[in-house]
Amino acid sequence: MGQSFGEDFDREVRRRIYDFTEREGLPPTISQAAAELSRGAEEIAASLARLAEAHVLILQRDSNEILMLPPFSAVPTPFVVELGGRAYFANCVWDALGVPSMLKRDAEIKTSCGCCGASMKLSVAGGALADARGVVHFALPAARWWDDLVFT
Amino acid sequence: MLLFRSDEHVDKWCGDWKLPRGETFTPEQCWRLAREWFDTNRGEPRWRRRTAAEAQALFDALGFNSPFWRLS
Repeated sequence: MGQSFGEDFDREVRRRIYDFTEREGLPPTISQAAAELSRGAEEIAASLARLAEAHVLILQRDSNEILMLPPFSAVPTPFVVELGGRAYFANCVWDALGVPSMLKRDAEIKTSCGCCGASMKLSVAGGALADARGVVHFALPAARWWDDLVFT
Repeated sequence: MLLFRSDEHVDKWCGDWKLPRGETFTPEQCWRLAREWFDTNRGEPRWRRRTAAEAQALFDALGFNSPFWRLS
């Protein structure tokens, strides 16, 4: 029974932190998530740890706050996704394109060349990619993504 | 997973960081991958993480079938 309660609770935490992120632009802190769910911070932190263990999200090493809630980033990145009047940070170019895909909305992605910093833009409109220039580079082969998801 | 202006900029970045070149593709290919990978809102209760076999099948279906994309 404890196990099924835990799974139900973690599923609810997952739902609410994604809702919060879509609404507020950034994933919640532990205390924000605790307030959102009217639960204690320790319960939330434990749930986030289980979700991280299940590779649903990635936590910051020291604080155990959310670092990555794919496709969203909790910290500023060079991938700014403008969608529905909000700006979201994405973890990489794949995730940046994942935001309009997941939310089923048009978006503009503002980023820069990984090499020289020249500004670049991708646009998603009506479920299609427009204004698509440039080259996407994945540094690590797929089998190693979970070794170091921060650097891929 | 970064976006670059050109192949030459990918090569320069890899050289600057002393990294082997990974795999490159077009933003359109990346969009097709993102569209399938993030096809479900991950907040929805029914969402679950793909198994390795499901992820491999998706990569294969999208034409990402070089050794770079092998999960095992």
